[in-house]
Amino acid sequence: MNVPASSFQPFEEDVAGLGKAPIPTGPYYREDYFELEREAIFKRVWLNIGHVCEIPEPGDFMVRELEVARASILITRGKDGTIRAFHNVCTHRGTQLTQETAGKRSSFTCRYHGWTFNADGELRSAPDFERFYVDKSDCALKRVSVDVCAGLIFINLDPAPSQTLGEFLGPLVERLEALPVAKATTFSEYVYEIDANWKVTFDNFEEVYHLRFIHPRTSGPASSPENPFGYPLRFNFYGPHRGHTFWKAPNPSFTPLQLVAMGKMGQNVAAEGFAQAPNNNEYFGLFPNLFILGQPAQHFFHSVMPISATRSRGVIRLYWIGADDSASKRFAREYAMVGARDVHAEDVEIIEAGQRGLSSGALEHVHFQSQEVLCRHLFHTVDSMVQAYKASLDAGGEAR
Amino acid sequence: MSASTELPAGFEALEPFVPAWAVPGAAERAERRVSSCEADRLAFYEAAKDLLAPALSRLDEKPLDQFDEKETRLMHLMLAFAHVAFAVEVQGDREAAHAQSARRMRITRAPADL
Repeated sequence: MNVPASSFQPFEEDVAGLGKAPIPTGPYYREDYFELEREAIFKRVWLNIGHVCEIPEPGDFMVRELEVARASILITRGKDGTIRAFHNVCTHRGTQLTQETAGKRSSFTCRYHGWTFNADGELRSAPDFERFYVDKSDCALKRVSVDVCAGLIFINLDPAPSQTLGEFLGPLVERLEALPVAKATTFSEYVYEIDANWKVTFDNFEEVYHLRFIHPRTSGPASSPENPFGYPLRFNFYGPHRGHTFWKAPNPSFTPLQLVAMGKMGQNVAAEGFAQAPNNNEYFGLFPNLFILGQPAQHFFHSVMPISATRSRGVIRLYWIGADDSASKRFAREYAMVGARDVHAEDVEIIEAGQRGLSSGALEHVHFQSQEVLCRHLFHTVDSMVQAYKASLDAGGEAR
Repeated sequence: MSASTELPAGFEALEPFVPAWAVPGAAERAERRVSSCEADRLAFYEAAKDLLAPALSRLDEKPLDQFDEKETRLMHLMLAFAHVAFAVEVQGDREAAHAQSARRMRITRAPADL
């Protein structure tokens, strides 16, 4: 009997060696588990909080609020061009230093008593300082570890990070440096807040199983009869990070207008040298909370920042190389942003519905199938860090 | 057809859509989409779909920072068309429901606004 050849064979085995067991629901809504994640993960690992193109010139600065760490972080580019990060906290009595979210300054003055800090964090002046019992050199802003990969700025709130950024990203450093984001000079951005745990939110974007149900129109070109769910070609694991390689439907259909827009974007991509780039079909999930589409035509970066156990903020950026320099480029970029935003808007309500069910406590476990292995991998990575942290506490380790 | 007073020559057919759609700001264009009615979106879509490529060709003749008022309006109109095209071609009869969630995705930056 002739068996019809198929270009697509889904993974059926346990590709990550993570087992097939049901996953407990508590970590997806319980406050006590979230408190452990706060300490075990978000105060210890490298977190992407921006891009160098946001602070291109000496004196530029930006502030990021990280609710998960109850921290406000000031990121500056000093006169020497160096990017530094500090807790946005005056060292006099702990007042939040600047209320601005971004700008250009050579110094920052606390509005409470006028303590003034340079962009490199040193205390420059403080009124009537002679009456204090401390040296100015001991009053610099509290430093936060910061490093850059592919133009992406990462911070680590651990006072003594156990890994450098390069060690943390491992083999992904080279992959990320080859992406358009490494050359980006600007971006489109949209933001949403959602009543859902950060992992419930993130998991939605780690599997394509839901596409045909939630995105039947916006993601239609992602499937075909031979691969009706549009499952990935393969899954990839890089320590705590993960990814998959998109399967491309053989004959996707597009409207005439979509073809015009895609043609314009295709010209941009080709001119930038990314038409046949090696990561164009790759999805990267950077632990803990950032995922990236390598495709240069819709090169988006989606971070899910935890706010509480059941509330999160999604920040989506499409990074671009160079300013708009023609009407066609401007149109293609706006069209690409609208397309990504339409898809993400479709996800919000179903994610919240999932959270309501989990938070009800009705289920003790949920189930991930073989094609949802990235969700399983995220859970296992998170839980192993949480359990290790708990063990260190039980062994008398000090909570920070 | 009389000469357009609002748009470059050749795009007179789009003049009725200037007040509603030729607006600066990607977030404002997104808002116009979700607060519009289906009839208005369809009318704009039908009038503009065959003029997109000619409009971009016409506008590509000049650097963006040298656009006059008419060219700027045409640019804004085509950018709004990107939003409307998704409503008409992709969302179709789901657009009203989609708009509720779309409102939650706040556009905070776009290169066209810089």
